[in-house]
Amino acid sequence: MGLVDKGRLPAPLTKLFNMSRSYSLWVYQWGLACCAIEMGAAFGSPRYDVMRLGVIPLPASPRQADFVCVSGTVTDKMAPAVKRLWEQMPEPKYAISMGSCANCGGPYWDSYSVTKGVDQIIPIDVYVPGCPPRPEALLEGIVLLQQRIKNEDMAAKWRGDEFTTLQRTRAMEAGEVDRDGELINEPTDPTPEMAQAADSVQPEPIVVGGGPIE
Amino acid sequence: MTLTDRQQLSYIASQAADARLNVELETEGMTLNIGPQHPATHGTLRIICRLDGEQVVWAEPVAGYMHRGYEKLTEVRTFPQVTTLVNRIDWLGSFANEVPFILAAEKLMEIEAPPRAQVIRTILFELSRIANVSLFLGDLGVQMGAITPVFLAFRDREYILNLIEGATGGRFHPNFDRIGGLKDDLPKGWIEETRGAVKKLEQFCDTIDDLLFGNEIFQSRMRGIGIIPADIAKDYGLSGANARASGIDWDLRRDQDIPLSYDLADWKVWTHPDGDSWARCWIRLQETRESCKIVTQLLDQIPAGPVMTKVPRIIKVPEGEAWVSTENPLGEMGYYVVSKGGLGPFRVKIRSASFNNISIVPWALKGVYVPDVITILASLYFILGDIDR
Amino acid sequence: MAPLSDDTTTQDAPGADAPAALPGDGLREGIIDNLRSHIGDAIVDTKITPNDDLWIRVSTEAWLSTGQALKDAGFTYFCFLSGLDWMPSPYGTSEEDPDDEPKEPDTEIVQGYTGGETRFQVFARLTDLNRHVGVTIKADVPDDRLVMESWSHLFAGANWHERECHEMYGIGFDNHPDLRNMYLPGDFEGYPLRKDFPLLARMVKPWPGIVDVEPMPAEDEAEAPVDEKGDES
Repeated sequence: MGLVDKGRLPAPLTKLFNMSRSYSLWVYQWGLACCAIEMGAAFGSPRYDVMRLGVIPLPASPRQADFVCVSGTVTDKMAPAVKRLWEQMPEPKYAISMGSCANCGGPYWDSYSVTKGVDQIIPIDVYVPGCPPRPEALLEGIVLLQQRIKNEDMAAKWRGDEFTTLQRTRAMEAGEVDRDGELINEPTDPTPEMAQAADSVQPEPIVVGGGPIE
Repeated sequence: MTLTDRQQLSYIASQAADARLNVELETEGMTLNIGPQHPATHGTLRIICRLDGEQVVWAEPVAGYMHRGYEKLTEVRTFPQVTTLVNRIDWLGSFANEVPFILAAEKLMEIEAPPRAQVIRTILFELSRIANVSLFLGDLGVQMGAITPVFLAFRDREYILNLIEGATGGRFHPNFDRIGGLKDDLPKGWIEETRGAVKKLEQFCDTIDDLLFGNEIFQSRMRGIGIIPADIAKDYGLSGANARASGIDWDLRRDQDIPLSYDLADWKVWTHPDGDSWARCWIRLQETRESCKIVTQLLDQIPAGPVMTKVPRIIKVPEGEAWVSTENPLGEMGYYVVSKGGLGPFRVKIRSASFNNISIVPWALKGVYVPDVITILASLYFILGDIDR
Repeated sequence: MAPLSDDTTTQDAPGADAPAALPGDGLREGIIDNLRSHIGDAIVDTKITPNDDLWIRVSTEAWLSTGQALKDAGFTYFCFLSGLDWMPSPYGTSEEDPDDEPKEPDTEIVQGYTGGETRFQVFARLTDLNRHVGVTIKADVPDDRLVMESWSHLFAGANWHERECHEMYGIGFDNHPDLRNMYLPGDFEGYPLRKDFPLLARMVKPWPGIVDVEPMPAEDEAEAPVDEKGDES
């Protein structure tokens, strides 16, 4: 998309793209343990139907997925597989960590073989706490993710700038960007640290039941 | 059954024919890796198959992708904390995991729960069996390629989960059993709700019977496949419906004397002489129907009284060792509890049913075709938390 | 409850075709006698809880022949096989309040039912499906050479159980076809179920101990919290 690479995207176009992106998510279910059953209930049962949100559950492969829902305990033996799955997904991709085992190790916080939280391996956008979280809680997490996607600035994301409103607000408060999101002091040559920082721009994660929502 | 003999003979003949063809074509062996993330395995089980054409020459399940270290964790927790943790071993039939552990602790303390608690425990145990096996019946379709039954299973399972949530507060992982009884009494109106829900589950069993078990494709994919003779089953320690499908008439609910109220109801144990995948699945269907009958009968016989005996608030279980095993939805699950008089156990050995059930996979998968690998695994029915603990 | 008879009565094990009868002590005593006729005085100790359960401890050398004798006597169902580490954990059981002064750790190795002389023991359980009776067999693992004979040629299911026992305790099994890790990744160091294997998360952040009543936020200055510390008796 040449427009996006070169400059900024017109706002109505961004809004249209974001809306259509958020309402047509394809979710890869990485169901590992008990939370996988609640995820299955959320995705497969007619009561907590997730398809009414526009989210379709079964992609044929991770390369066709928009976001991954990691549900269940991640063990140290399984961790490389999770990393490889994440790397296979094309951008833009998001991750939801469902259940307390995936959030922080959960009831197995002191075990010798459990990875204490999947955010040690992949960056997470939404945390859904619970053991297991009710299917409605997972749906709430998906709705919050959809809200975040609707407020994204796609061009900035692809350039590596701050792209969520929260990040832009904070950068404005720090005096780095002006109202339009332009950098105040254009650097002549981007230093390696700045390039690295741009690469690793991470949005603030959302926690269902608390945390920032933009 | 002559049908099985004939099918067996034709299967062997086709295998021999293929072997001849492979030799003529000089095909090389290929290693096929199923899992650890695969929609057909109930979790993160990895099976490495070495193939010769379409046949499996050697198969090996690699477990451990869900190993959470239960036996070490129980050593640093108190008895109520272990009850919470132990719910999550067999995560579909979760109340059923707590019961043998609590019974072992009660055996060490030499107390028994009051009759009302025993009957309610039995009812919740059977409800968790129905919840567990109804999802199995739905997943059976998915593993053949038929997606509809799993939606029906999730829908009808919701009735049972509502009941368990109404009584205990948790859809699964109820954490409701306590040493000496139960945490709370049943809420008002629960018994009537349960009667209605159990009727709906009986309709679900009839639907699955028509939809799946009467289906010609299902039958030809399951009959005569994965035959496990009775003495091999005993050697490996197969239990539950897997053993009863091979003709072993053994059910821990009937054959041992533990304080659960199975003798108050009139029910039967189903066995099947064949020992193939079809028999294992069919026995589970019949057992679900039987569980519905047990629950309906027990609901009329809940005695009045307390649900908890007098136990101290901070429980220290006296020194000793105890072994209790029960007929869980997956098979025989038992706990060997070693206590040294403290607040928590000294060592707990968790004997989980699926560990033994899956140890037979290398033997059972020799010489089968690749599509049959999935159906044999489906019929053996395991849950990863149960294998890996 | 029938009293535990300490001499062999004529009431021997009932016939294998009477599954409806509740097993009495004569049944379990008969099992011990039958085993004694096969392996003699390799039976070190026994314990019967009447009408309930049976434990037998045999000597290390007779581990395999015990299994064979019991299998021939009708115990054809293999339940499980695992290990026991009787050393008390040097890190405590996290029932103590970490603010207390640390007590002297208890280092005395006390074995459970049917005793023992070593730190490690292996134990297995077999069931007779016709007579509906089970037996737990224990054996000491010699401290200087942690190796036992393998049951995997006797009971095929013992293969996986011995692999798990090996990776968790470090007990080797002779004649086992394929002794490698069952659950843990290949590069895992240490034997987790040994008592001296620490759980690092608890080292870093100890559990606050047993607290009986959490004080309400407004009340902490007014009322001292009621703490019940789990003392080891």
